[in-house]
Amino acid sequence: MTAQEVRLCGLLLQEHFGDVVEKVGTHLLRNGAQHLRAIVQETGTPMDLVKKSLCVLIQHGACAFSSGRKGPGSPVEYQASFERILRILRYPRYIYTAKTLYGDTGELIIEELLQRGHMTMSSTVKTVADRLTLNMEEGHSMEYSEVSNTFSKLVETHFLQRCPPVEVAGKAVSATPDPATTPGAPANNTTPSTPESFADCYKVPHVTLIGRGKRRNSSEDGEDQRNAKRAKEDPETHGDEGIYWQVNFERFHLHFRDQAIISAVANKLDQTSSEIVRTMLRMSEVTTPPIATCTQALSANEIFRSLPPNYNISRPILDQYLTLLVDDPMEFVGKSGDSGGGMYVVNLHRALANLARATLESVVQERFGSRSARIFRLLLRKRHLEQKQVEDFAMIPAKEAKDMLYTLLSENLVQLQEIPKTPDHAPSRTFYLYTVNQLPTARMLLQNCFKTVANLIERRLFETKESKRLLEKSQRIEAILASLQASGAEPEQLTEVEEMITPPEKQQLESLRHHINKLDSAENQVDETIFLLESYIKSTATATR
Amino acid sequence: MAARGRGRGRRLMSFSVEAVGISRGESLPPSILQPTPLFPPMEQKPLPLVGGEEVEYMLALKQEFRGAMRSLPFFIQPDAPHTDVERYSDKYHSSEPADSSLDWKPGEAAVAVSLVKVSLTACFAPQTLEKKEEEVSSGEEEGEEKKKQEEEEAEGEEEYDEEEFEEETDYIMSYFDNGEEFAGDSDDNMDEAIY
Repeated sequence: MTAQEVRLCGLLLQEHFGDVVEKVGTHLLRNGAQHLRAIVQETGTPMDLVKKSLCVLIQHGACAFSSGRKGPGSPVEYQASFERILRILRYPRYIYTAKTLYGDTGELIIEELLQRGHMTMSSTVKTVADRLTLNMEEGHSMEYSEVSNTFSKLVETHFLQRCPPVEVAGKAVSATPDPATTPGAPANNTTPSTPESFADCYKVPHVTLIGRGKRRNSSEDGEDQRNAKRAKEDPETHGDEGIYWQVNFERFHLHFRDQAIISAVANKLDQTSSEIVRTMLRMSEVTTPPIATCTQALSANEIFRSLPPNYNISRPILDQYLTLLVDDPMEFVGKSGDSGGGMYVVNLHRALANLARATLESVVQERFGSRSARIFRLLLRKRHLEQKQVEDFAMIPAKEAKDMLYTLLSENLVQLQEIPKTPDHAPSRTFYLYTVNQLPTARMLLQNCFKTVANLIERRLFETKESKRLLEKSQRIEAILASLQASGAEPEQLTEVEEMITPPEKQQLESLRHHINKLDSAENQVDETIFLLESYIKSTATATR
Repeated sequence: MAARGRGRGRRLMSFSVEAVGISRGESLPPSILQPTPLFPPMEQKPLPLVGGEEVEYMLALKQEFRGAMRSLPFFIQPDAPHTDVERYSDKYHSSEPADSSLDWKPGEAAVAVSLVKVSLTACFAPQTLEKKEEEVSSGEEEGEEKKKQEEEEAEGEEEYDEEEFEEETDYIMSYFDNGEEFAGDSDDNMDEAIY
């Protein structure tokens, strides 16, 4: 856990869960697995607040508990997961994707689940139906069955999954009827159980949900209170108690990866090629495991049959497109055989590596200029080059090439490799070669991205704090305006209240809003880069295993 | 030995000058004696942010999400800080409504309460796991009972303490009245002159 990662996680926890959870969370991230007493002592927070924070973290999947390391009698230990906390940055992207795939209903389901961590299907459906009903016209309301359908579709396509059942104590216990003979074996549940290791991960429970969304109007307050009282006294069971659902981030990531590949093909070649690649990816969605380096081989005949109907390209043209895709230096599509008109695969790992490489090159270009970028690309392609060779190949005068190389070297984007000619490593008899290693450079840039996002968040908090007085004043005035409007005031009163904010203050508020929007938007964009680099690093790690 | 190397060649550096590219006669850049500036001037300006509908929508989603999280019960506020000096009358202030922290279940959807209970019972009474086997179901209820017992004890102690204090002090409780009755009493007989 690097310092940048801990700092970023701390800021994210603080913004979404408050200072107490931030303290407990950062302590767990820095110090690894700890038990409750240690956390209380070392953070100096009262016991009940620590318990609450741990509950919140566990509810959102950011913290896991397991039996202690010292054997069956030791207290439970808690461990925070840094990756899960980082996902908070990507929530808007998940929600937007759900909207594009499943409409407003899907969007609200994912949003509710992200806000609450774990939820049962029935409570999700009810809350979402209520929210949708609020936005509909008077007299219309949303059926529970419609929302249930969308929920089931999300589960079928694996975007939602069941939370793994909690069995730590039970499991360990059932395996040790006699602790004397098997002292420490079952207490250490070292293999982390993924949600997918449970058989019913994607099974929708049979839920009896009949009804429509309720609209909460002010006139129905009395009725709502009575309903609420009745609900508390008579809890409605829908047959799915104890089955909690969570968002399956890995599935979303696969979707994002496919999107990135398709848009890269569309940018490099043309729309039709991207449609072909999209078809290939869609066909191999269910057959390709998440960590595969390339999809299953698909024959050209199958691809031809599965093309979307509005793309009526003839068979020979499809073959031409496929040949073009295979010959392209980007190597997105590869040919793995000749049967069935040609067997084609999408090279997922290669595609991710190329996308990461393009990111690195673009970073160098934007920070140091196009000539430095030329040198960087040269080194990526040719691996090891001497100083003289760099000058010759890049066609840049010696002095400037030297300067640029040293700048890149000082930023650690380029490394120097010594190759001695003699055993005594004499400097005059050693080759010094410049080189670029893609994987370590990608890791370094990833850490830079974390630092960037942390800086953006801190700057946003600083700007908000600076203008706190002004923001509070504007909020109060908005509240006054809203209450006046609700009680039906005259326009003069409204304008009088609006004029309480002077024009220079209005300008200040405007520019503050503009800055905060810019900073927020920048965070979202940096997160896209983080996703690419993280996917590349993870894919390389699994590919080399 | 060190003097020998020093005296022989002043410009002997650890790496070969020609190979890395510094030719004779060129001087190295002057060494920097202070930390680099906090906001160094950039030669290349950064690109503008991507705009568009999608980006605006995601921005709005993000800000709404943040706002919504603040209102959910997952947002934990730290305890309000106590005033600087402990006042004598603090003892007689009505105690705040018992912080329902131990009954607290995050969100309306009950979290896997077994989660909380298992971890909390482990903290409350570290028992060996074999005992937990028998009491894993009854242990949950015991845990809750224990919690309730502790709460009741705490409340009982508070009440008891107040009574004790009432008996022990020399001052009567009515001493701390805010004097409303004083003005009220004087309205009984307005004929007498008030000095």
